[in-house]
Amino acid sequence: MATLRGLRETPRHLLVCEKSNFGHDKSRHRHLVETHYHNYKVSFLIPECGILSKELKNLVMETGPYYFVKNLPLYELITHEFINTFVKKGSCYALTYNTNIDEDNTVALLPNGKLILSLDKDTYEETGLQGRPSQYSGRKIMKFSTEESVMMSYFSKYQIQEQQPKVAVSTLRDLQCPVLQSGELRGEAEASCSAPELFDWLGAVFCGVDPNNEPNNFISTYCCPQPSTVVEKAYLCTVTGFIVAEKICILLEQLCHYFDEPKLAPWVTLSVQGFADSPVSWRESEHGFQKGGEHLYTFVIFNNLDYWLQMAVGANDDCPP
Amino acid sequence: MAVFADLDLRAGSDLKVLRGMVETAAHLGYSVVAINHVVDFKEKKQEIEKPVVVSELFTTLPIVQGKSRPIKILTRLTIIVTDPSHCNVLVACTHLDVDLVCITVTEKLPFYFKRPPVNVAIDRGLGFELVYSPAIKDSTMRRYTISNALNLMQICKGKNVIISSAAERPLEIRGPYDVANLGLLFGLSEVDAKAAVSTNCRAALLHGETRKTAFGIVSTVKKPRPSEGDDDSLPACKKAKCEG
Repeated sequence: MATLRGLRETPRHLLVCEKSNFGHDKSRHRHLVETHYHNYKVSFLIPECGILSKELKNLVMETGPYYFVKNLPLYELITHEFINTFVKKGSCYALTYNTNIDEDNTVALLPNGKLILSLDKDTYEETGLQGRPSQYSGRKIMKFSTEESVMMSYFSKYQIQEQQPKVAVSTLRDLQCPVLQSGELRGEAEASCSAPELFDWLGAVFCGVDPNNEPNNFISTYCCPQPSTVVEKAYLCTVTGFIVAEKICILLEQLCHYFDEPKLAPWVTLSVQGFADSPVSWRESEHGFQKGGEHLYTFVIFNNLDYWLQMAVGANDDCPP
Repeated sequence: MAVFADLDLRAGSDLKVLRGMVETAAHLGYSVVAINHVVDFKEKKQEIEKPVVVSELFTTLPIVQGKSRPIKILTRLTIIVTDPSHCNVLVACTHLDVDLVCITVTEKLPFYFKRPPVNVAIDRGLGFELVYSPAIKDSTMRRYTISNALNLMQICKGKNVIISSAAERPLEIRGPYDVANLGLLFGLSEVDAKAAVSTNCRAALLHGETRKTAFGIVSTVKKPRPSEGDDDSLPACKKAKCEG
């Protein structure tokens, strides 16, 4: 029956995996990090590491404050004063908070000076702006994107709060890690694991899921992909907040320098998750929320400076670049 | 996209329970709820009870979880027409001035939906409502709910369907994404299932508002009564007519 067939299908999701080397001229790691604007969570996992180096620690602590401004009318973002003070200097990011992309109007300010508005039908008709219908609005066209080109003392007449990103660190003991070969994205039978298997494993580690598939575990039957090794300790650090792309670039470079001295770890990973309610994912590709609003990327950095880049998006998203 | 709405919270006699239901709905993420008063016309000359006044219910409306806006509460009237002849659904679809046609789930439908009246209903902007709280309470109801829903989907192809709770207690309400998943069991596609909790509900509400307007285009607003001094304007108009 058609319904039964439909129930077996999962919502559309895309995972794009590619491999390259940081030293390569045409490597587009920098471009992809810089064009993923609204980053909510950055995590990195370093196997065989108990203490973080001083440089990494400083970087993590200095991911910079971000600001909450309450009840800010949108016209403030397009006044000349705001544009001259913040936007022209570059790297000004803004995103509406406590708005769901699939229900309400959402606004995002990109560092290239573009203001993206994702509006519902009523607001779009009221404002009279010119835009185009969203690709992911279903039968009735309800969502529209428009573009217009067009911080503590500036917004002092509104309630402004400075927040520091939250840092959470943990050391994982006796962690089962998959064996990877930097040249083999698809993995090799009995020799290394594939990129999608690593992606699943990393998600399990971040959720704190035990990958042993014990018989009395009701929560998860997930098993670490084989072949795997057991690592005595691994360092997991998570920074949550509104993190700008430039800081992530610096963090990525510092993680590459981790392998300047010989280390036990065969690879380290850096994962970045975007805000579920951001109207754009990479550059200006539209992002939507169907049942989940994930758009994230992960770098797996090997000790020879090869890397794997995995970009994942959910149902209502354009393909990552 | 539209905000999530639950258009069927059953009004009981206990205001406390109703308050609990609205607070639960706000906590789950619904931005709009409608308190449903059900009237059965089995006995003649039954009086329709007065709708619940929202200001009596809450002094400050609860804020919807994940947003900064308070929940919007509407009121709704449902009329049960239980005539022995099953043609009443067809009459409702084609002639009656209603916004939603509720599909009963308490028993197996005694008739099959026919495509022509359903198509007429869809053209008129009527919505078909499915409720899920009887399915939570009882397993026989669950079977009837799913089979009636699947029958409906075969004919209407998932257009203009809304799913609501018909909850009488706070525990019978489910979150909007869960209800959208339930829509998949009823035979809706992913997009239609989500629309059943958001976009189609908005359409039904707008359909209700347009009943007070002329074809949905022109609406009238009551002007405050003018003072007696303006009576001179009337003769002036008449004069203009004579001269013109």
